[in-house]
Amino acid sequence: MRSFRPNRYTLAGLAMLGAPLTAEAQSVTAGPAFDVSVTVYRDPNRNEGGFDLDYLGGFALITETRRVVLQPGEQTLRFEGVADGIEPVSAIVTGLASGVIEKNRDAKLLSPSALVEAAAGQEGRVDLMRTDPKTGVTTRTTATIRAGENGVVLETSEGIEALRCSGLSETVSFEESASGLSSTPTLSIRTRVTEPVEAVIQLSYLARGFDWSADYVADRIPNTGNLNLGAWITLANGNGVSFENARVQIVAGKLNRESGQVEPIDIGGPIFAQCWPRGSTSDYEPGYFFAKGGDDFDRVVVTGMRMEAMAMAPPPPAPAAMASEVIQEELGDLKLYRVPDRVSVLSRQAKQVRMFDRADVPVTRLFEVNFTSNYNTNFTAAPLILRTTNDKENNLGLPLPQGRVQMFELVGEGAEQRRLLAGQTTLRDLALDEETEFEFNGGPDIQARQIVETRSLSPERSLPLAPVLRAVPGVNAGSRVLQEINRIEISNARPYPVDVDVRLYMQGDAQMLRADAPYGQKDGRPIFQLTVPANDTLVVRYQTVRQTR
Amino acid sequence: MRSSIVAAVSGAALSLALLAPATFAQQGQQLAITIYNDNLALVQDKRDIEIASGRQRLEFPGVSGEIRPETVSLSATGLTIVEQNFDFDLLTPAKLMEKAVGTTITIIRVNPATGAEVRERAEVLATNNGVVLKIGNRIEVLRDDGLPVRVIFDKVPENLRSKPTLSVTVNGDRRGNRPVTLNYLTGGLGWSADYVALFDDTTSKLDVQGWVTLTNSSGTTYDNADTTLVAGSPLQADQYRQQQYRPQPPRPQMPQAGTETGDRERLGDFYLYPLPERTTIANMQTKQVSFLDVHGVPAEHGYEFRNYWLGTLEDPQSAKTVYRFNTGSAEGLGDQLPAGILRFYIRDKQGDPQFIGESRIDHTPMGSTLSLATGDAFDVKVKPVVEKRERAGVRRWRTSMKYTVTNATPREVKVTLQQDGLWGDTRIESESLASTRPNADMAEWVVTVPANGSTEVTAVFDSAY
Repeated sequence: MRSFRPNRYTLAGLAMLGAPLTAEAQSVTAGPAFDVSVTVYRDPNRNEGGFDLDYLGGFALITETRRVVLQPGEQTLRFEGVADGIEPVSAIVTGLASGVIEKNRDAKLLSPSALVEAAAGQEGRVDLMRTDPKTGVTTRTTATIRAGENGVVLETSEGIEALRCSGLSETVSFEESASGLSSTPTLSIRTRVTEPVEAVIQLSYLARGFDWSADYVADRIPNTGNLNLGAWITLANGNGVSFENARVQIVAGKLNRESGQVEPIDIGGPIFAQCWPRGSTSDYEPGYFFAKGGDDFDRVVVTGMRMEAMAMAPPPPAPAAMASEVIQEELGDLKLYRVPDRVSVLSRQAKQVRMFDRADVPVTRLFEVNFTSNYNTNFTAAPLILRTTNDKENNLGLPLPQGRVQMFELVGEGAEQRRLLAGQTTLRDLALDEETEFEFNGGPDIQARQIVETRSLSPERSLPLAPVLRAVPGVNAGSRVLQEINRIEISNARPYPVDVDVRLYMQGDAQMLRADAPYGQKDGRPIFQLTVPANDTLVVRYQTVRQTR
Repeated sequence: MRSSIVAAVSGAALSLALLAPATFAQQGQQLAITIYNDNLALVQDKRDIEIASGRQRLEFPGVSGEIRPETVSLSATGLTIVEQNFDFDLLTPAKLMEKAVGTTITIIRVNPATGAEVRERAEVLATNNGVVLKIGNRIEVLRDDGLPVRVIFDKVPENLRSKPTLSVTVNGDRRGNRPVTLNYLTGGLGWSADYVALFDDTTSKLDVQGWVTLTNSSGTTYDNADTTLVAGSPLQADQYRQQQYRPQPPRPQMPQAGTETGDRERLGDFYLYPLPERTTIANMQTKQVSFLDVHGVPAEHGYEFRNYWLGTLEDPQSAKTVYRFNTGSAEGLGDQLPAGILRFYIRDKQGDPQFIGESRIDHTPMGSTLSLATGDAFDVKVKPVVEKRERAGVRRWRTSMKYTVTNATPREVKVTLQQDGLWGDTRIESESLASTRPNADMAEWVVTVPANGSTEVTAVFDSAY
């Protein structure tokens, strides 16, 4: 790889006029990474769903092992081909005995406007090239760029001219290595060595533009209703850099991230932006006589950093074929998944690796309804819940990182049998032994509503102080007692009995007085655990009491 | 910057009428830059300048693009300053034509069929939405027919610059070369600290490296500058900070402020971090220089969870992973820490450091205790539940809380559990574990949770709310 040299070298002939040149560090490019490790972290602010390939909000820790050869003296060691999403402040270089004087990351990349900017004001550093429309002969004139930011102004021996405002084909050509800029994001360090060194060094840094998600696939086993649960890790690299044959790890859990914006890479604005006003006496645009003239500005089209055509992550493939599973390890208070074999994480690629497969997970199948006490509601379909515990007994007992769940069921018999998507839901981060609930859309067969049947208010108690207390703002002396009877109706259109949990939010300071079905308490709220007979409606009444004015 | 030297010198050689005797030959330019935290820097620019006697204009191209012209001061012996100007009318083709109104330019018509050129002089009459020219006795619109026409201007008009330029008009007492010092404040330069903290799980020791990170977006490259960083900002405290109603401040990152004095150089009340060597700060560059490297600092790994008043969680929530350590000289980092971001790493099974989260710290005096949260603990969770809330009198409530702290790790953990929002005269009637009150609004329990187990804490609060 060629190294770029600062342009002050090319200025050497003129240096006698300027300041004495400082002893400049030699520029050395580190060898390409021969061992790469990529650890992918999910977007800490993304919910359980999938990610958008056009906007990958996660990040990765990338560790590259490279070989360097350093000659004695002060050296600028350049690492080319780092990820474009690099957070330069996070870069760590280890393995260099001589130590690091400083680390630099230049955000300015080689671009047409960067070339113009670098050449601006430098005497006779560009050639103005003009092609004769008749003969096709190109003449070169030595010129100086006087200004370039908003339209290029050139100075030649003839005078001052603006570039590409004349309608002729004209352009400027630059000296080689005019800008000293590199084409890819480059990190460099300054070091000083006393004797020749051949070292193997490690460069690690955080880079944006990665993400991963856990995609669970649950297959209901026809007879038992138990689940075969498998999971994929879908990871994606939105960077323009590929990591070939890399060790890949994935970290689950939520990390603190502080850094806001990463300094954007300066790919340069378009050049040749403006000429003088080009209004004409006619409403029609004058026709181009021969070649395209200067009035249609050459705009540098910057291709997007991400592919636009890529849609959402592809649905997880069926777990039919065997896949080698990732190895789960502990990492502090986080979970690390190690991909057992080296894989390539290519640029703008989404890739899937198998997280685990667990067969025959027993689940309790029930419906759950939530009501706020003392409110009338209409019939609403109840969500279905498949409940289990994340432990060995239930053939689980492993960390389940948050992600999407797709549930499949077999429909039909024999050759007609098909595997169809029966539901979709999400899981939060689940540790060992946690209660695990998959909540699905339950279909229309189980409906529930609540009716407030009666309200009765007790007569005012004749407390002597009550009228006084009630006059104090904010005081609810509660001299009267309000009793309400609610009726809950649950209908079941299935040919078999179903379990339904009815959970109540108590309105205000209402307390449960009595009910005609046994109730308990869960998470501070009353709960009825009911069984609704096949093709029938179950009615439960409960009475609450609260104090009112 | 160097480019402008060349431009100036050869510009003069070509007698390009770049206006007045703008003198800006520079020799032995010496830059000293002091960078503050809040996007502010003081630039001291020393140059040897050839000065004539009498009134003259000195130009200083290559000063920061974000210079604050009102802060410029020029000092040299035998110079009297007449006025200072900061010209920011930039040279563009449109401006060039606009400034040419009323003057004469050369146009060259190129015959597209033959390539033959016809040269004419033209007066620019107007540039309003099209260029109107007077050629001889005729009036024409430039390139109205779409045919190629080259326009050549005789000179670049006054005040049009390729970059914003600072100029100072001075009176010199004698002719001769002398050192001139230019001081100014500029935006676009800033710095913060970045720390790499590697935590060893088995020994509970922390290795910390500190880097100062400079950023330059001022549009100018500073060559070979003597650079000093000031930890803090002499600017008046943030005026835009809004008074927010915060019943409880966010979790304290610095439970104890340090009282040790460092041996670093100071500027008033701020510490100085001079870079050991002169350095070139290129435009659009991020530069890092090491300032701290300590190994084996004892650190404590813990968990924290704060519940809000009447908070019930149906899904247990992860406790925060917290690392605590000291910045003192005895058992700590032994330095005052400039504000920045601390990134924590921990080694995985194969011994490779992996990132586990980061935390922003403020300027921290030496000897402080830092308690930094890095993220959520996957395996340590808390589920607070309001079990019961009932009236305990006319204006009193009785609230029964149950906190279930679960631990899915194979080792015992201690979790700092906090109940916030104990406003008024809230009392704890009864509790299953003795609490402390770090302040009147909060109760705190240190809950020991066995390996792969859970611990329940219950408390009954008597409150007015």
